[in-house]
Amino acid sequence: MNMQLITYLIENHAALLNPPISGDLANIYILFASTSKHESAGMKQQEAKLAAFWKELKDIADLCPGCFIFASTGYGSAALSSRDVTVEYIDIQALRMIRDSMISTPAEVARPVRPLGRESSEELALSDRLLSVLDSDAAATPNKRVLAKLEHFLSVKPASYRLGHERAQKFTPHSKFIPICGNRSHTNALASIASIAGNRVLSLDWNQLAGADQSTPGLSRCVQSKIHHIPNLKPQTDKTLGDCSYLDTCHKLSTCRYMHYLQYVPESLVQSVAARSRELNDAESDSKSICLYTRNLCCSVASKSVLPAQWIQCDVRKFDFSVLGQFSVVVADPAWNIRMNLPYGTCNDSELTDLPLELLQREGVLFLWVTGRAIEVGKESLRKWGYEVCNQISWVKTNQLGRTIVTGRTGHWLNHSKEQLLVGLKGQPEWLNRQCDVDLIVSGSRETSRKPDELYEMIERMVGPHARKLEIFGRDHNTRPGWFTIGNQLTGDSLCEPDVQRKYRQFLHTQRTSYGCSSVAA
Amino acid sequence: MSHDRTAPKNSIEHSRKRKSNASLKAAAHLHNNNYTDHYIHTGALPQKNVRNTDNPVEGYPNLQKLFRLKEKQIANHSSAPYGCRLDIDEMVPTLKNWIHNEKIVFDVVMIGCLTDNQFIYPLLTGLPIDKLISKPGFLFIWGSAQKINELTRLLQNDGWAKKFRKSEELVFIPIDKKSPFYPGLDNDDQVLFEKMQWHCWMCITGTVRRATDGHLIHCNVDTDLSIETESTRKSAIPSHLYKVAENFSTATRRLHIIPARTGTETPVKVRPGWVIMSPDVMLNNFDSKRYREDINKVGAHLPIRNEIELLRPKSPVQKRNS
Ligand SMILES: [Zn+2]
Ligand SMILES: [Zn+2]
Repeated sequence: MNMQLITYLIENHAALLNPPISGDLANIYILFASTSKHESAGMKQQEAKLAAFWKELKDIADLCPGCFIFASTGYGSAALSSRDVTVEYIDIQALRMIRDSMISTPAEVARPVRPLGRESSEELALSDRLLSVLDSDAAATPNKRVLAKLEHFLSVKPASYRLGHERAQKFTPHSKFIPICGNRSHTNALASIASIAGNRVLSLDWNQLAGADQSTPGLSRCVQSKIHHIPNLKPQTDKTLGDCSYLDTCHKLSTCRYMHYLQYVPESLVQSVAARSRELNDAESDSKSICLYTRNLCCSVASKSVLPAQWIQCDVRKFDFSVLGQFSVVVADPAWNIRMNLPYGTCNDSELTDLPLELLQREGVLFLWVTGRAIEVGKESLRKWGYEVCNQISWVKTNQLGRTIVTGRTGHWLNHSKEQLLVGLKGQPEWLNRQCDVDLIVSGSRETSRKPDELYEMIERMVGPHARKLEIFGRDHNTRPGWFTIGNQLTGDSLCEPDVQRKYRQFLHTQRTSYGCSSVAA
Repeated sequence: MSHDRTAPKNSIEHSRKRKSNASLKAAAHLHNNNYTDHYIHTGALPQKNVRNTDNPVEGYPNLQKLFRLKEKQIANHSSAPYGCRLDIDEMVPTLKNWIHNEKIVFDVVMIGCLTDNQFIYPLLTGLPIDKLISKPGFLFIWGSAQKINELTRLLQNDGWAKKFRKSEELVFIPIDKKSPFYPGLDNDDQVLFEKMQWHCWMCITGTVRRATDGHLIHCNVDTDLSIETESTRKSAIPSHLYKVAENFSTATRRLHIIPARTGTETPVKVRPGWVIMSPDVMLNNFDSKRYREDINKVGAHLPIRNEIELLRPKSPVQKRNS
């Protein structure tokens, strides 16, 4: 440990961090070397000494994590090189503690060091006064450096977090991703050369595309790497009106005067992207089968098959939840009885909050879709069922063009561009993979009240593919391998877990007999 | 090893060989991206894929015109920008003084900003806030998801729930984790999904009807969601927070209370038409007499302008839903 360096840093930290030095490592080294009798050497030696100096600083930093904040042009990169490092912050309190603890053990004797930039005592008094003003301000207001340091400490994630992320990457199949082009001039250029029939783009002519490439450079390359939306111009289209609010869901395509668009992706691009993701997935299926990090998952996660989709068509309000057993995750998308005429039956708030959801989870996570006023009712219900609201996910709904939905009086006071999903946590489950995903879903809107499928994948990453998962108020399109779905709009039932089959038969039997009794009584 | 790189090139060459009547065939099926998967594999956050972040009303010339006209009208009928710099502890006594001695009321009150360390609940409960806000009046409360979640307690409080109706929940999303508005501190170990948003309660006090009170409120102009753009980074408070309130209510008396230290590096700027109370606001020029004179000059509400009336979304006459 270089005591001399520590002392030097304590005494000169302000001068070193401020302009003109501004924490530049090479300059700090030169200044430090000039105070401590090191004679200047050749360039090559200088480079080696700088590296040694850098190592000394890192040694101190290792001894006392956080006593320096380093930055470089490529911030966050794993290996900082001594050439482009700057010292952003020096914690002199920490350094003093190191010095004090070292001095008490008489290992090294610190040589006197000449402090920087102090010539006359008169100037010193003035600068000290100015500095004290700064210091008092820094004490009263959260200073950026202090905050940055605190945030740095608080944002350090445990290894389980990083391992979890890595595993999520391995277990999530690569889907085909094609970026959307946002260049308006491309849209206009393509409008004139696309051959469109029956509200579909059939193809783009190569010669015409090459011609358009002259006036719009880069067009043909962009066409082959991104999704484009080509105006679907009709005799009645009036370009000055702008886009139709309904775009691809417009029912009046033959009369609507607003702009509509057709998606265009070359078949060749789709195929190459598909081939690439297939290749990546094949490569990853190998690493998946020898998954060593199985924490929070079933230990044979890679080889065990996932149960097929199970569902029961039933009136959720009258169903005996004890038939179903326990679940790691429950998703509910109730039709809240808000003043909106949704095309399916709604139930009252109280009918909903009275559901005996406490039967389904001793500990676990419950996802509850809410809208408008139901946000607060939903939060209250979660608390009543024994959950703590720990996240509120926003689904940012996008349209055909990948834009948020901003028109159409979608809300009472403001337009609604998002929907909310409350996440409740019950107990303290230790088998959750936390924070693989963010609390946002950006996904296109589909039929009324149909929610994005991305949620299923987020949940599967959180609890693994084999955990029992239940969806309440589900419809046919919600059934899914590894999931149990109940709801009154499902078609029939399909069960494969023997204990559930047995209990369900029993439930049906008692229902039939009690119905029989009551009809006899009537 | 990787054949994929040569694949598109081959297809180009292949098509070129056929020269005339060669064409680039469209895919048979519509393509949909999965931005959640994409985030897992690349770290590119889902909100980066929203195509109208910089101009939310892109593609809608009438709405663009409406926003321009409203912005101009709001600018033309604004009080001077006022700042009131004081400690968080002095806020409640000062506001009480404004209410009882100075007799100042505001129609639009915004509380909070995009930082974690806010004292919102104590401020709300320490004040006769209903006396600070006129009727009808509008209250916007911004904070972390956690802080806003705690406000649910207010609804169980009869006094509060009778006076204020929570009407909308707004969300502000930072563009990435390097943003000054990234709510990093809100992410404790309990959190299941990394938090990426700030929430806002929009509350209404008194009675307004959206169909008939067009002189007081303009509904459905903004949406309940906004995503950070480059231009929002220059201040401690993104201008969008102010704009939503300005676009919704036509009132000109607006107050913003920031019960938090926001630091010296990102300044709390003053804004025409607003009185901003904060420990870190740049100006400290509030003077109740001058403010009253200002408001008398510009009027308590924006005048009705036909051009705006024609463009703004309105409730259809007696026929809802379609
Ligand atoms: Zn393009
Ligand atoms: Zn249309």
